[in-house]
Amino acid sequence: MVPQLGNWLDERMGWRSVWDAIFLRKIPKVNWLFTLGSATLFIAVLQGVTGILLMIYYVPTPDHAYDSVQFITTQVPAGWLIRGLHHYGASAMVILTVLHMLRVIFYGAYKYPREITWFSGVLLLLIVTGFGFTGYLLPWDQKAFWATTVGTRIASVAPGFGEWLLLVMRGGEELTALTLARFFGVHVWILPASLLILLSIHIYLVIRIGISAVPKRED
Amino acid sequence: MSDEKGLKRRDFLSMATLAIGGFISVVVGIPAVAYIIGPARRADQEQNWIRLGAASKVELGTPTLFKTRIERQVGWIVNEEEISAYILTEDGRNFVATSNICSHLGCRVRWISDQEQFFCPCHNAIFGKSGEVVSGPPPRPLDQFEIKVEDGQLYILGG
Repeated sequence: MVPQLGNWLDERMGWRSVWDAIFLRKIPKVNWLFTLGSATLFIAVLQGVTGILLMIYYVPTPDHAYDSVQFITTQVPAGWLIRGLHHYGASAMVILTVLHMLRVIFYGAYKYPREITWFSGVLLLLIVTGFGFTGYLLPWDQKAFWATTVGTRIASVAPGFGEWLLLVMRGGEELTALTLARFFGVHVWILPASLLILLSIHIYLVIRIGISAVPKRED
Repeated sequence: MSDEKGLKRRDFLSMATLAIGGFISVVVGIPAVAYIIGPARRADQEQNWIRLGAASKVELGTPTLFKTRIERQVGWIVNEEEISAYILTEDGRNFVATSNICSHLGCRVRWISDQEQFFCPCHNAIFGKSGEVVSGPPPRPLDQFEIKVEDGQLYILGG
């Protein structure tokens, strides 16, 4: 039954060639460090799932943000687990992305013909830090408020356009409801959309070019 | 390595991938379902006696509308909500409290005194004095609250 259904669908969608290209592609002899990218991807998917779940209860306004987060953590069944996974997953994302990048650097995997993969990866690292920076404000507790006060103030010392950047980030002079709303919007739409686009390019290139081998001393 | 052995290794790996992937999906999936349906399960728990007003205000033989406001906590928000009921008495001693929420799709019905009928404007449903369906789409009579009288005050059980 299942093989017939698979054949029926393959005849119409050609999914087997896609499956083979993704999962049955040839790879050189490599080591466990080459799984760091997949590990990052796995956590990214987990962040997406838990993030969507958190949005079911979270309200991004100053009078409800803190209380809705407390409600999730203490009242909703498994809310502590969903929030905990998202919280620790955020740290895991940054750590894994950086480790993945270090592997690419030390094995020289950024070289021809993988420059585009490398640059899309650098942008993805920026997006991950953006996720961390915007997500940190959303619980709207003292730590969140003052960390973002300091973080946006740091941005303001950029030469020339710093003060302007601070106004755009905060949506005004002070950290207000506007700041919380725009950080939320960036966190749940702008960054995920950008991530999805860049990640598609990144993974398409990994599949198309294939992964690099571990370089030898004489290379 | 023989072909047969290579095949076994492949089968093992795909089975292990499926097993671990399935395990992770279950570990995240079951809490996710509980997380989503959680508030729905404990929706209607608490019922309290709600004071409507003096029993002497009820007109004999005519459903009289009583409104009162109650505080209700939903999630982390405390809301004021209006609760309404039509109170009917034929003898001044036995009271019936009828909900003004149409049993069809939840619009509010109102008493039309000329016709001695409850009327729902959404789909032209008509109920009789004691809430029975006269015409229109409702599947059952209007709901009734439990009611009691204490010191001349009317109380209904709701929440």
